[in-house]
Amino acid sequence: MFLELKNITKAFGQTVANDNISFGLNKGEILAVIGENGAGKTTIMKILYGLNRADSGEIFLEGKKITIHSVQDAIAHRIGMVQQHFMLFDEYTVAENIVYGKEPSKKGFFDRKRAMTIVQELGVRYGLFIDPELRVEDCSVGMRQRIEILKVLYQDADIIIFDEPTAVLVPQEIEGLLKTLKHLASLGKSIIIITHKLQEVMDVADRAVVMRKGKYVGERKISETNIRELSYLMVGKGIPPRQIERKEPGKTVLEVEELYYESDGVSILKGLSMHVKEGEIVGLAGVSGNGQTELIQCLTGLLYPSKGRIRLNGADILGKSVREIRDAGCSHIPEDRYAFGCASRADLEETAIMGYEYQTTFSHRGILNQKQNCSFSMELLTKYNVKYNSIRDQAGALSGGNIQKLIVAREIEHQSKFLIAAEPTRGVDIGAQEFIHDRLVEKRNRGDGIFLVSSELSEILSLSDRVYVIYDGRIQGEFRREDATTEKVGYLMMGGHDEQG
Amino acid sequence: MNANLLAVIMNSTIRSTTPVLLAALGSAICSQVGVFNIALEGQILIGSFTAIVADYYTGSVYLAVLCGVASGAAVASLVSVLQVKYQAADMVIGTSVNLLVSGLTSVLLYTAFGVKGSFSNPSLKSLPKINLPVVREIPFIGRVLEQLTFIDYLSYVLAAVMFIYLYRTVQGFHVQSVGKNKEAAGSLGIKTLKIQMIAVVISGALCGLGGSVLSMGQVTLFTENMSSGRGYIAMASASMGQSQPLFIIVSSLFFGFCQAIGMSLQNVIPSQLTLTIPYLATVVALSIFGRKKLKKK
Repeated sequence: MFLELKNITKAFGQTVANDNISFGLNKGEILAVIGENGAGKTTIMKILYGLNRADSGEIFLEGKKITIHSVQDAIAHRIGMVQQHFMLFDEYTVAENIVYGKEPSKKGFFDRKRAMTIVQELGVRYGLFIDPELRVEDCSVGMRQRIEILKVLYQDADIIIFDEPTAVLVPQEIEGLLKTLKHLASLGKSIIIITHKLQEVMDVADRAVVMRKGKYVGERKISETNIRELSYLMVGKGIPPRQIERKEPGKTVLEVEELYYESDGVSILKGLSMHVKEGEIVGLAGVSGNGQTELIQCLTGLLYPSKGRIRLNGADILGKSVREIRDAGCSHIPEDRYAFGCASRADLEETAIMGYEYQTTFSHRGILNQKQNCSFSMELLTKYNVKYNSIRDQAGALSGGNIQKLIVAREIEHQSKFLIAAEPTRGVDIGAQEFIHDRLVEKRNRGDGIFLVSSELSEILSLSDRVYVIYDGRIQGEFRREDATTEKVGYLMMGGHDEQG
Repeated sequence: MNANLLAVIMNSTIRSTTPVLLAALGSAICSQVGVFNIALEGQILIGSFTAIVADYYTGSVYLAVLCGVASGAAVASLVSVLQVKYQAADMVIGTSVNLLVSGLTSVLLYTAFGVKGSFSNPSLKSLPKINLPVVREIPFIGRVLEQLTFIDYLSYVLAAVMFIYLYRTVQGFHVQSVGKNKEAAGSLGIKTLKIQMIAVVISGALCGLGGSVLSMGQVTLFTENMSSGRGYIAMASASMGQSQPLFIIVSSLFFGFCQAIGMSLQNVIPSQLTLTIPYLATVVALSIFGRKKLKKK
């Protein structure tokens, strides 16, 4: 074994995040550490990278015991980590960011020219091309991740840890990243990837270590296992394929006719028409960037469409304010939970009633009804299985999956006739994902309309009664559940035409 | 235009620029590390006062300047501890420090010299005036550069040094990075708090130097609140110069020019009106500049 972790234990107060964990890493291997949110996978990697200190346990590198007490120690042992939150300077160039902390210099003067050539050479060597003169603020998320990877490579890391690297990426970027990982492994780098996306594990990893609730559950060679076994190990129980009972939809809840939206003279929505009925989940499939975000924002009042009609429960809501649209019966699980779904510094109670605080159940003549709000919030937190320490915690302190559950809880439990669920399970683990899907189906069975927008095609196909495909700001085609297959929908997503019309 | 008058105005511009330029460099180093320091006004005023006191008691102009610089740095370290280390609100700390220094200098003026309002004394020495040997003979330029002090020249050198340090050295690169993304800099092993605190103290020293030239340069006296808003003008100048030392030379010269024009028009237009010129210029310049910045976004 190249690297070995032995009996690592780490507790935060009462919770044991890592309980006597041991596993190893071979040279040139891609090892996936998988588990649900809160399984302790990030904690053990932070211990390896010197961001956390273990209570007990040992780390061996090439048979020799090493101690890692700081990031500097880790780097000295050639261990690097690409964290979930990028640590980049937006105003600096790509090259400046990559060489930061180990700058090429002449007598204290920063040799920026050499930094450029160094970065170019690194790019050639590892097949990670990026213009070193570009400013980071002009880079996409995928490019930023590439910069982080180059940073680690510039530090001469032999072991590279990736913390949920695909959580922030769009599908095309994910493909590129997985290729990069394989390429790095073929050059002799050892890679640890923390994730809960099993398809990616199957695609890229050599071996998977499974963790559950702070404990080591087992490990499998990827060639000898499958997604079902891994998810069984992760969750501790098998997940039966979803069965949705057939139901005749009721009357139309949302109707969109010939919707146009323009931004800075570029038309983004080009005469889009669709509808959602009661007791129906309608999915919107599409490669991201084809107008989904703008459509959602037009529906919820965040953007003003330039032309068209939007009717909700029979009332015209085009050009109405966000508040009026919500009052008309539209709830919204937003795509970006931190930008729209919650205020990361608000506490959990505030988050639970946010957007409804003016209603009579929560306040009376402008004074918040604290007792009632507190018990209501506790109820939501329990019912939706949110893991938290105190109701006064800041929303931003919860893990992504848990905050998402709270937002879903808020938007579903306020009982509106229509729900927009945009990327409801982005970046959450299988357990939470199943849970959120169950709640969505429940809401549908109660006779409410749901509009589901997701970049995960499998999510759309498994839940939707009807599927629209969006391409270039228009509806490219429509399928009923029984006709919607990955191939047919995928063909339209790429701009193909439905022959049957 | 009369060449002689032009030369006089240019000369006056250079002299008025110096305190603003120095304080603006101080403001810039603070913004470069992400600290919003509005105590510049107080840091200048304490410099002016201490310089005059030290001048009176020691009789040495260089010791006096040194004391001015040290006092500015001392007031700034107060800001640095409260605002940077303990993260008190910048507005509150800055305003309090400015008011504190204003009151303190008035009280000390009375206790030390028994006067109110202003203090001057024949035994006070002013900064030696430099008249460069060859240059003074050149007709126009000689007039422009006559009777300047070494601090006037030093301020441009400091600006150049600061530019080279911040934009060309590795250390300066790290200093700047603190203001751009403190968290990232910290995660990469940079001591962000220390850099921020040092930057504030340096801003105090620069302001103290500016204050010294104010009370010992063109005139040799101390008047209550003699900094008269130069700290704020310096902030405007730094912001117009985008915290880049070489740009700040230009923006500070602009404000110096406004002051010089204001003074030279005093005989034609009531002085109450002409004295507002630099402040009006600040407002106008900032709004024009702000709009350009908005458009760029």
